[in-house]
Amino acid sequence: MRWLFAILGLAALGYGGVQFVDFLSAGFAANGPVLGWLIAGPVLHDALLAPLVGLVGLLITRAVPARWRWPVGAATAASAVLVFLAVPLLWRPYGGSVNPGLHDANYPVQLAVALGACWLIAILVGLVRSLLARRAARHPTTG
Amino acid sequence: MKRISLIPRQSRFRAAAHDERVAAKVGVWLGIAFLVCFVTGMLSYAIQYPPSWFYWPSRPVNLYRVTQGLHVLAGIAAIPLLAAKLWSVFPKLFARPMVRSLPHAIERGSILLLSGSVIFELVTGLFNVAQNYPWRFFFPTAHRVVGWLAVGAILVHIAIKLPIVRRALSKEARAASKATNDQPSQDRRRFLRTTWLATGVAVAATAGSTVPLLRNISPLAWRSTEAPQGVPVNRTAKAANVIGAATAEDWRLVVQGSGRAHQFGLADLAALPQRTAELPIACVEGWSQSASWTGVSIPELLHAVGAAPGSELRVISMEPRGRYARSTLPGSHTDDPLSLLALRVNGERLSLDHGYPCRIIAPNRPGVLQTKWVQRLVVQ
Repeated sequence: MRWLFAILGLAALGYGGVQFVDFLSAGFAANGPVLGWLIAGPVLHDALLAPLVGLVGLLITRAVPARWRWPVGAATAASAVLVFLAVPLLWRPYGGSVNPGLHDANYPVQLAVALGACWLIAILVGLVRSLLARRAARHPTTG
Repeated sequence: MKRISLIPRQSRFRAAAHDERVAAKVGVWLGIAFLVCFVTGMLSYAIQYPPSWFYWPSRPVNLYRVTQGLHVLAGIAAIPLLAAKLWSVFPKLFARPMVRSLPHAIERGSILLLSGSVIFELVTGLFNVAQNYPWRFFFPTAHRVVGWLAVGAILVHIAIKLPIVRRALSKEARAASKATNDQPSQDRRRFLRTTWLATGVAVAATAGSTVPLLRNISPLAWRSTEAPQGVPVNRTAKAANVIGAATAEDWRLVVQGSGRAHQFGLADLAALPQRTAELPIACVEGWSQSASWTGVSIPELLHAVGAAPGSELRVISMEPRGRYARSTLPGSHTDDPLSLLALRVNGERLSLDHGYPCRIIAPNRPGVLQTKWVQRLVVQ
């Protein structure tokens, strides 16, 4: 099984490698920057994004009460994903010609509503969790 | 004196998210998402640039639409999955010594290629579906070529890690983790739950581009509900520079069969038997929209000029230049009565932006090949 994956993988890498060289040599001025972007992804992730995730995670575990940690953490993750997906819709210096029916919704408002919904749900879940915890503390189950 | 360093040691990462079971579980789903992306992406490429052995049927009418919706949504799902996976294995970046042996060096190199190519695919794809593409390199070629590197690196990675994946997902490991409810187990489950939740949010936020039920719900769908005549426009008549030609009084469609060329005015086309079909425009960029199209069935039109349905048909637009000014309708489609030279959409005359005076709309085809502002049809 391992060998099957390895052989298929190496074959795909070989084929992709040949295609990639062709792609680069077809026009290095335009296509060469792909090399830089291939490296930039992991570097930006490891040097910026991951430490930020760690920092936010640490902040949540230190500053947020235990009952609220999961809802706050989940809402933070969902918000980060929504904002990331919204970037090319909100910041459009390279947007091409206007196409009616495409990319013409009111994204700032829709993003704000989605974020609001995320945090509303998080607050509701957090309230229910702390309420349940308080009740459990008041009426400890016996047996 | 205690040495203070900005670079943490691997052992400093103690959170449950860094457990191998987390990396394995998220990795399996990430692998599935990428496999879907790869297969559907290559399929779309084969349909647009068919090799001689390739055959693509005209039915079911929505098949292409489903494959490309899956392509883009699997890519969207892969964004939070990849973030979770990279966070899960992040401590390994700080393992010392950096390189232990030659196999270890190859493994680390393959991971750099893996993360580089996968991040590249997701980011370029996201900016391309938003039609806000900042790079000079041509998206379809770069995305396809790096896709091969990504899938190769993923397969090699699976080959290297398979024993760990097997151990982490084995029945015993699952039974053991179910039986324990200590803090690390709870944290691990929460991290996984958060990952699935964020993935679901990402898909739900964008799926309205292609899933009709979510059309009015997805806040970040690339298509809006403001489309003229109920169908989004991906290239306007103005951008294609066809307004003059498309509205000219003396416009005639030229159909070149085996013999002489036949000419049809708009009234001639309208006088031919009309057929109405519910067909989707399905864009390679992941959005799709079904509509009711009315026009002349292509097999009928071929009969009218004395050509046989099932012949390949070259479609030439009035658009003077551009990648999609020409297309070829293969025999499998010219034989299908649902393939139309459409004059109307959703009960109205085609607007200029939708291809007036007439456009091709055929079942189970990429939107970019549904050529608008048709000037000439040549039977091959």
